[in-house]
Amino acid sequence: MAAAISCLIFLFVLVCLSAAVFEDQAGKFDWRQQYVGKVKFAYFDSQTQASRKLVVATEQNVIASLNSRNGDIFWRQVDKAGPEGHIDTVLVHGQDAIMVSGNGRLLRSWEITVGGLNWETVLDTGSFQCAGFVGVQDSVKYIAVLKKTAISLHYLSNGHQKWVENLPDSETVQYEVVYSRGSGLVYVLGVVPHSHLTITAYNLEDGEIMKQVSVESFWLESLKPGCAVVGGGVLVCADPASRSLYTLKLEEEHEQEMRQVLLQSLDVELSDGFQPRVLATQPSPARHPNAEFSLQLGPDHHILLQLGDDVITPLRDFQQALLVSFATTGEKTVAVVMSPKNETAYSINLFSADSGRRLLETSTTFNLDPNGGKPERLYVHAFLKKDDSVGYRVLVQTEDHALIFVQQPGRVLWIREEALAEVVTMEMVDLPLTGTQAELEGEFGKKADGLLGMVLKRLSSQLILLQSWTAHLWKMFCDARQPRSLVKNEVTIETLARDEFNLQKMMVMVTASGKLFGIESSFGTILWKHFLQKVQPSSSFKLVVQRTTAHFPHPPQCTLIIKDKDTGLSTLHVFNPIFGKRSHITPPSLGRPILQSLLLPLMDQDYAKVLLLIDNEYKVTAFPSAKRVLQQLQEMASLVFFYLVDADQGKLSGFRLRRDLTTELIWEVVIPTEVQRIVSVKGKRANEHVHSQGRVMGDRSVLYKYLNPNLLAVVTESSDSHPERSFVGMYLIDGVTGRIIHEAVQRKARGPVYFVHSENWVVYQYWNTKSRRNEFSVLELYEGTEQYNSTAFSSLDRPLTPQVLQQSYIFPSAISQLEATITEKGITSRHLLVGLPSGAILSLPKMFLDPRRPEVPSEQSREENLIPYAPEMPIRSEWFINYNQTVTRAKGIYTAPSGLESTCLVVAYGLDIYQTRVYPSKQFDVLNDDYDYMLISSVLFGLVFTTMINKRLAQVKLLNRAWR
Amino acid sequence: MLPRSTTSLFCVLFQALAAVSQGFGEFESVSVGAPINGDRFRIEGRCVVPGVKAQDWVSTARVLVEGEDHVGFLKTDGSFAVNDVPSGSYVVEIVSPAYKFEPVRVDITSKGKMRARMVNFIKTSEVVRLPYPLQMRSSGPPNYFNKRETWGWTDFLMNPMVMMMVLPLLIIVLLPKVVNTNDPEMRREMEQSMNMLNPNPELPDVSEFMTKLFSSKGSGKSGSSIKAGKSGQLKRR
Repeated sequence: MAAAISCLIFLFVLVCLSAAVFEDQAGKFDWRQQYVGKVKFAYFDSQTQASRKLVVATEQNVIASLNSRNGDIFWRQVDKAGPEGHIDTVLVHGQDAIMVSGNGRLLRSWEITVGGLNWETVLDTGSFQCAGFVGVQDSVKYIAVLKKTAISLHYLSNGHQKWVENLPDSETVQYEVVYSRGSGLVYVLGVVPHSHLTITAYNLEDGEIMKQVSVESFWLESLKPGCAVVGGGVLVCADPASRSLYTLKLEEEHEQEMRQVLLQSLDVELSDGFQPRVLATQPSPARHPNAEFSLQLGPDHHILLQLGDDVITPLRDFQQALLVSFATTGEKTVAVVMSPKNETAYSINLFSADSGRRLLETSTTFNLDPNGGKPERLYVHAFLKKDDSVGYRVLVQTEDHALIFVQQPGRVLWIREEALAEVVTMEMVDLPLTGTQAELEGEFGKKADGLLGMVLKRLSSQLILLQSWTAHLWKMFCDARQPRSLVKNEVTIETLARDEFNLQKMMVMVTASGKLFGIESSFGTILWKHFLQKVQPSSSFKLVVQRTTAHFPHPPQCTLIIKDKDTGLSTLHVFNPIFGKRSHITPPSLGRPILQSLLLPLMDQDYAKVLLLIDNEYKVTAFPSAKRVLQQLQEMASLVFFYLVDADQGKLSGFRLRRDLTTELIWEVVIPTEVQRIVSVKGKRANEHVHSQGRVMGDRSVLYKYLNPNLLAVVTESSDSHPERSFVGMYLIDGVTGRIIHEAVQRKARGPVYFVHSENWVVYQYWNTKSRRNEFSVLELYEGTEQYNSTAFSSLDRPLTPQVLQQSYIFPSAISQLEATITEKGITSRHLLVGLPSGAILSLPKMFLDPRRPEVPSEQSREENLIPYAPEMPIRSEWFINYNQTVTRAKGIYTAPSGLESTCLVVAYGLDIYQTRVYPSKQFDVLNDDYDYMLISSVLFGLVFTTMINKRLAQVKLLNRAWR
Repeated sequence: MLPRSTTSLFCVLFQALAAVSQGFGEFESVSVGAPINGDRFRIEGRCVVPGVKAQDWVSTARVLVEGEDHVGFLKTDGSFAVNDVPSGSYVVEIVSPAYKFEPVRVDITSKGKMRARMVNFIKTSEVVRLPYPLQMRSSGPPNYFNKRETWGWTDFLMNPMVMMMVLPLLIIVLLPKVVNTNDPEMRREMEQSMNMLNPNPELPDVSEFMTKLFSSKGSGKSGSSIKAGKSGQLKRR
């Protein structure tokens, strides 16, 4: 029996469900872009001249190797998100990249060429301060890791600990810098703020304290960033209060004082209120640092100084220098200075570090995007050319997280938009019509100017259409003659036009850095980018499409609501989603924190939907707020309801709009926070269509769906986290009346809960603490076999509570994201898109999550195509819509309908961005792309041919018979 | 293939029974949300892709413990260690887009005793022991793609519908030519053989019975339909 059932399931699966891609479709209409995140550390692989490798570590806890020729990723390793995977520091030596992560918890060594681990060691607890290489006799053998209370030394080859020593007086002294120069001693510098500086020297071999000196320094608060070790072991500190530099010889045996050098004596002036920075360079950890160092005096003022025998001499003053960096090749050290030329252009110059002279023919000028951010960091790779002059390559990081690679002379080799590693929200907008199509559309929009004029206009537009059609045919003919690889489908902002099935759209992506992107969906080309200055890093964003492209000649309009988390104040950014330009419409100024926003189906005279913003005094602001709109709003006011969620107090409240744009409270649901807290509230998607009102059952009766558009799904988690007592709650609440339609509690369950609320069902996933597995549960709501009111739904007039069916299943993997497919008219069956931690996106037919799946299949259930109940949900690699193109750390899956009913567009974003199309019920409305035109035409021709021959033969036969 | 798999299954079952009897109570008290200050342990193992050097695939693979709760990386020789794992029970997975690995459940007691067993989500307490340190062996690349249906003459000919049509056609066309029906002796022989097939002539033939039944019904129906048609015509007038 069981075998029979499984066989049946198998057959069913084979026949009915197909979510997989065919091998030849891979890469045809899907693409993936991989990112690493905002770069914190970057190193050039300077092992060989020809090496084109860059090692970067980022704020997304990613260490990666990039190809410096084109910016592609050689390899990438993604650690755990959050503070536990946080990369504290990265040091590169030869083929090894040493990484300290998790606030000094783990020490790892990566093999740069392969991208695998060499070794990994666990360090003792304690917050991380600093790490550095320690060299012995011109070779690097150890790594010193300085923590708040201890210093440890590890072998570079295998990570084993050589010794660990507790730091003296670590309660009062904050140790910050570790320094060595291959002399057999490791110096640890610490400071007691506004009191003194301590220098402790450890023996390299056994960790014995060789020397301990404390020097009075009442002015010093911290060693970073105003101090550095320069030249033959001299600590140089800058003090903004006394406007002077202090020097101290570390290796001196006897007690000493810090020597003061007034900045005025060097003929330089410090900008007011600026914390000076000292930048030094140590080309090899086994040798002395260079005697030359740079001092930053103001936001764009640096000076190159040299430390001689107890004397500091200025070498060169860099006015208007945005960034200064050092680079060493062979014996030569150069200072690289980047200065702004005009609004968008920047120039880079090289100066010899020993003399401060400008090196000839090293000037480079390059342009940056005017809509982007300013340069923030500079990484330089210098190398010796054949004629012994210095050549260089520069990696520039800007404040909008972009990486720009510049090569001499002024060529931008590649740009990586790392802001896209942190997409917060996105929308897909239809592309505008082509010029000719728009012309046709315009004909209907204009006022009639006589019969003859109309006829002439129609004829001319038809002519234009004919012309464009012939041009299209000619292009197709030309393309067909060329080999396929040569035909390039370049998409530019000029050639952007809607295709016949509306499959190509504009993806508007909002990133956490405050940079907006417009990406065309068929190839993934970035068509526009816009960096919003003055956006706080902790802001939250909401993107709404106020006007689509359907209202020619009005341009489409998107509004981004930016909410500052600290102050709660919001600003609006109104822009055109196709070109990225800021709109000339002035958004209303919002003086109070915004609690909720809602987009009404109501339109103003320019076809822009009305956006309502509710502030913390429950007053409503409308945007746009023309007089007509306000009038319409007043008429509609009694029909506008909205809800607010206060998770801290566990309160859900419903409001109604009054005619004077104030609001009144109509209901309130309190979920006591001592027991459980509200995690998430979701309504249904506004653009969702439900095609069938009910389901036909085996006995020919109809089970009507409970389709309440105002239904909210509220997920709660218990505040008690004990595995025996924790639970997950699911409340279904009517958003207009506040009536709790249904309540489901999953005992011995824990979040994070991922859920989808659509049509008449809610699917949610939770962790079962008892059985230690992930489970899916589905709730479906039905009105029963009769509909109460089949013409319209009203929340206020529903006396009957719906019938609720529920079923749960085991899901054999953790999940990272959940979303449902959506199509134009809702005829196509639905699939759930499940993001897995492995990066795969599983397309799971909703059919598997049907609470009417019977335990024992009957004749009727078979007729209804119900799959018999099985506790464990299958995961098949054929159902991965992104085959091997994994999306690491998926943060969201966005689905949008296309012009074809069978096709749903999917964008998954996280660290990577992946775009594809899915066909949940196969492509029933277009011919498959493997449709055999050859066969059908050959059969057709064959039949025509045989008919002709037969006709001839029959004629001959008739003639012969007549002769007989 | 089949006998081998069944025997291995038997072995596994036997092992499982033994393991259940000896090591059940030990894990009852293990809680998932272990205190943060508690001891942290290390899960170790090695994974192998037969026929592929570890260096070629380790950069795309990761070790995931219970989703993304703990992450480990593979060394250049294919071994791995996930550090800082508190006691509890975890599903350890090797994820790689290019190769498929079976997940393994690892139990760690509060004293740091380790044990690896097969993942069974339905009978969660069933223990089928696996070696520890973990030995992960890839079962090859996963199958991401559906096969295209290719069209060939053999497919066409082997289609049951085509067979059903072609075979009777052959019989109709060829049989009269092979067997000479005009020969009276042959005809008699055939009649005899037909009688052999129908051993009891008294019994009513099922097929005949059915045709009668249906034809009578059908005629009734057709009659009614005619009537309906007439009435319809009448109405139309």
